[in-house]
Amino acid sequence: MSSVSHELKDTSVASSKWLDAHYDPVANLYTFSSCIALSDLHGDGENKLVVGDLGTGVCNVKLKVYRGTGVLSESTLLDLPTGLVSFLMDLHEPRTPAIAVASGPFIYVYKNLRPYFKFTLPSLEVNPLEQDVWSQAKEDMIDPMTLKEMLEGLRDKAEIPLSVRSLRFLMLEPQEMENFVLLHKEQPIRRQTVITCIGMLKKNMADEDAVSCLVIGTENGDVYILDPEAFTILYKMSLPSSPTLMDVTGQFDVEFRITVACRNGNIYILRRDSPKPKYCIELSSHPVGLVRMGKNVVVGCTHETLHGYTQKGKKLWTAYLPAPVTAMALMDLPTRGFQAVLVGLANCEVHMYRDKNLISTIKTPDVVTSICFGRYGREDGTLIMTTKGGGLIVKILKRTAVFDDRDSAPGPPIAQSIRLNVPKKTKLYVDQTLRERENAVAMHRAFQMDLSRLRLAAARAYVKALESSLTPMSASLTEPLKMNAVVQGLGPSFKLTLNIQNTASCRPVMNLAISFLYDENLYSMRTAFFK
Amino acid sequence: MKTDVQLPAATDLKKPRPKKAPELPILERRNWLIHLHYIRKDYETCKAIIKEQLHETQGMCEYAVYVQALIMRLEGKIQQSLELFQSCAILNPKSSDNLKQVARSLFLLGKHKAAIEVYNEAARLNQKDWEISHNLGVCYIYTKDFRSAEEQLNLALQLNKHDLTYMMLGKIHLLQGDTEKAIDVYKSAVEYVSIHNLTFKHTCFILYTMLLGKYQKAFEHLGNALTYDPNNFKAILAAGSMMQTHGDYDVAMNKYRVAAYSVPESPPLWNNIGMCFFGKKKYVAAISCLKRANYLSPFDWKILYNLGLVHLTMQQYASAFHFLSAAINLRPRMSELYMLLAVALTNLDDADNARRSYEQAVQLDESNLLVNLNFAVFLYNQGDKKAALLQFQEMERKVNTQVDSNINTEFDPELVEMAQKLGAALQAGENLYWSKPGKDSKSSQRSSSSKPSSSQQPLGTNQALGQAMSSAAGYSKSMQITAGAEPLSPSTSCHLHRSVHPNLQSQIFRCLFEWCIILM
Repeated sequence: MSSVSHELKDTSVASSKWLDAHYDPVANLYTFSSCIALSDLHGDGENKLVVGDLGTGVCNVKLKVYRGTGVLSESTLLDLPTGLVSFLMDLHEPRTPAIAVASGPFIYVYKNLRPYFKFTLPSLEVNPLEQDVWSQAKEDMIDPMTLKEMLEGLRDKAEIPLSVRSLRFLMLEPQEMENFVLLHKEQPIRRQTVITCIGMLKKNMADEDAVSCLVIGTENGDVYILDPEAFTILYKMSLPSSPTLMDVTGQFDVEFRITVACRNGNIYILRRDSPKPKYCIELSSHPVGLVRMGKNVVVGCTHETLHGYTQKGKKLWTAYLPAPVTAMALMDLPTRGFQAVLVGLANCEVHMYRDKNLISTIKTPDVVTSICFGRYGREDGTLIMTTKGGGLIVKILKRTAVFDDRDSAPGPPIAQSIRLNVPKKTKLYVDQTLRERENAVAMHRAFQMDLSRLRLAAARAYVKALESSLTPMSASLTEPLKMNAVVQGLGPSFKLTLNIQNTASCRPVMNLAISFLYDENLYSMRTAFFK
Repeated sequence: MKTDVQLPAATDLKKPRPKKAPELPILERRNWLIHLHYIRKDYETCKAIIKEQLHETQGMCEYAVYVQALIMRLEGKIQQSLELFQSCAILNPKSSDNLKQVARSLFLLGKHKAAIEVYNEAARLNQKDWEISHNLGVCYIYTKDFRSAEEQLNLALQLNKHDLTYMMLGKIHLLQGDTEKAIDVYKSAVEYVSIHNLTFKHTCFILYTMLLGKYQKAFEHLGNALTYDPNNFKAILAAGSMMQTHGDYDVAMNKYRVAAYSVPESPPLWNNIGMCFFGKKKYVAAISCLKRANYLSPFDWKILYNLGLVHLTMQQYASAFHFLSAAINLRPRMSELYMLLAVALTNLDDADNARRSYEQAVQLDESNLLVNLNFAVFLYNQGDKKAALLQFQEMERKVNTQVDSNINTEFDPELVEMAQKLGAALQAGENLYWSKPGKDSKSSQRSSSSKPSSSQQPLGTNQALGQAMSSAAGYSKSMQITAGAEPLSPSTSCHLHRSVHPNLQSQIFRCLFEWCIILM
């Protein structure tokens, strides 16, 4: 099992590359890579960890800020966070970044950990016919039943889908309709959508501390770029499907490129000059993680594969993973000029890839659900992971750690040197072989003789069964019947159970008569003939 | 789009406005979360969220129903998933995606005709979807409507040049026996498919070259494919069997070791390993491996054929008889099997049945010289010189046609030698016939040297040989020694050499096609 030892060596090397700074298996965090950010919230040169915690999925939804190993602050969120970014929204001193939390149709912006602003997505266009119908209902010109009929007509052929209110109305029982109309008719009809992913884009400078715009993707397939100060929509683009993952690069005023993985399994690349996707990558399975490395895009797919693409959508390489991907993140160490992709796998490992080469593996105590690499506290190379069980792992990259870029497939496979498991033959076998060689003719004759005897015995038994009519079978195809008679009891009176079975799968047999033949001196039967 | 709220989010919750109508939750507000869990294969959490979401929206959230159906299908509950997809299609009749999934579920349930109908409906909503065309094509293949299948697959290729479609199209042509069209398909696949999909490209190229009969090129590409993916089982098997055909048993064994590590229970693999041992004259090991293969796949006639062959070589004629008759039961129209059976029967002293078996073999055979030669030898040994001469002439006729049409100009030297011996014994004036194909001086020299011995040798049973071989060390003895000693055994040894070839080649084909099918 040299593959195992190979692996062991790998992990021991990997573990020596990282310092285990902190592990809290009961941190109670339920989050994804999109809801984690590292940010210098107070402008004191010390990065904090900001986590949008989904709580139980229903309640306890919180925005948590960690410093060192402890929680610095917690604030309750109204709804589940879909994404979280830390961005600089203005040039004011001190340069403290704001936190934008996307949740439902809103973006909550926090500054100095205080709620600062709430942005709401523009509502979608409402079907004018639907609007008409409801305004009639408002003026009590139509009763709920007619309203229902008209809305149903609209639902089946309208270009623009109905609002939630109409759909909910259509689901109601007739007696509930009246109240529903009364309750809702005064409100204007709105169609809202929700944010599915969030990213940020530098406004006009490439510096580390430049002002950034927010980029959001919505459920109905739109991508908006928001002004960092006024929160107006600067640019709108549309996609054929709902975006799920997003990567943004460039500057808004110069040139930018938004790579969006969508729910239909495609990746679209948007450019500054067109509101429609410029390139499209059709994947064979759903993307789970999307990371940009330099000019290339690395995508982890559900089929346990990792693909590399150019920014024009040309495929460069494919690497096969041992388990499904659960999380992905970029590992960027600009001071050492080192970049790699961290891939969390369902087999409790985190693999580090540079291009298609696996350069290191980290074993984790649980399945990792989110990964974030960056500066935490005052330490540049910090790896932060949360696990499925809610744990929080913080590891620090050793300054002496070196990752050598070796090709993952050197030489022949290890299995080539493993001995074939050829079944061994015993002495007895050899002896029998010799015996057969010497007496082949006799053996063959004996066999043929016995075979004939067996056939004869079988034929005799068959004839006997036919003659004595034991379990008779019908030979005709039109009446595929099987009969079986069982005698129950010892007498003088006993029961005769006759089982008649139709053996055909789809042919009914009808109009049959059964008659019993017996010695009338000995037996008597009430009905000796029936249909 | 500024809103006026500057309140902390938490206080917003604590101040409900009682008079206002309650805000209706947005139907699709949890779709992202469902998707996130679905693609991470966290199906349990996913189902919990879906349940909650469906409860909240009273079953109106299309995406939640959709994912639930997908998960159910993965769990094997195809019928239930079909119903859910149908309800999705009701919620959103304009989405071709829902219809596609309905059709897919129908397809998985084996209702190909219903699936075709739904796919056609989906195609009306979205005409430029290669997936619909491709799947329609696949459905048509299952309903045996190859023409429509071809049409749809070509349509799919026009929309998007996907590997799968090429594979399917090639398969249709092969199923119809139209090799030329299949070659065309694989050729264009090699041209169009992106360079990055190397495994597929190699597969296509290998199939293409193999169909053209260029085994050497195919082999080179197999090697290339193996450098990219050294553990690809099918490629290993194909490459190994090609090496084996060329007598490279040790290299082939090296390859098979890799394969045996990853797929230890493959019947073709153990069959090929067994034949490797056979080629290396390790007969006991060969029998062990073949028996394992037979255990893993008891109804594979190729394995039974090989078992019969090895047992014949080991002079275990009674066992050989059983394996060969089993093989004949599974594949009743192969002349080589009858020939081998006849050889076994000859050695079991059952001349009548041997003769019948030979007659059957000759009747089924078209081009194999060995059948006639062996039959002729048998008849000669039986003393029926006239019939033997007939068979000998039949063989000569086959030789001449093969030489004339340039199918085969090189004959196995042992076969030539045997034929010459027999020709001399029958006084058939063989030199006239054999001087044409066998122009090389070697064989004629050898024939002249061996002629006297063969003509003087009594053509009897092989009891003496059996005793010579009976020691356990006997299996390492080379075939050539026995060939010289006894006229009957060369005929067996001749076809031993020959019969490995067709068998292994069919094995190669099998691997490749299975490989393609897996790619689909």
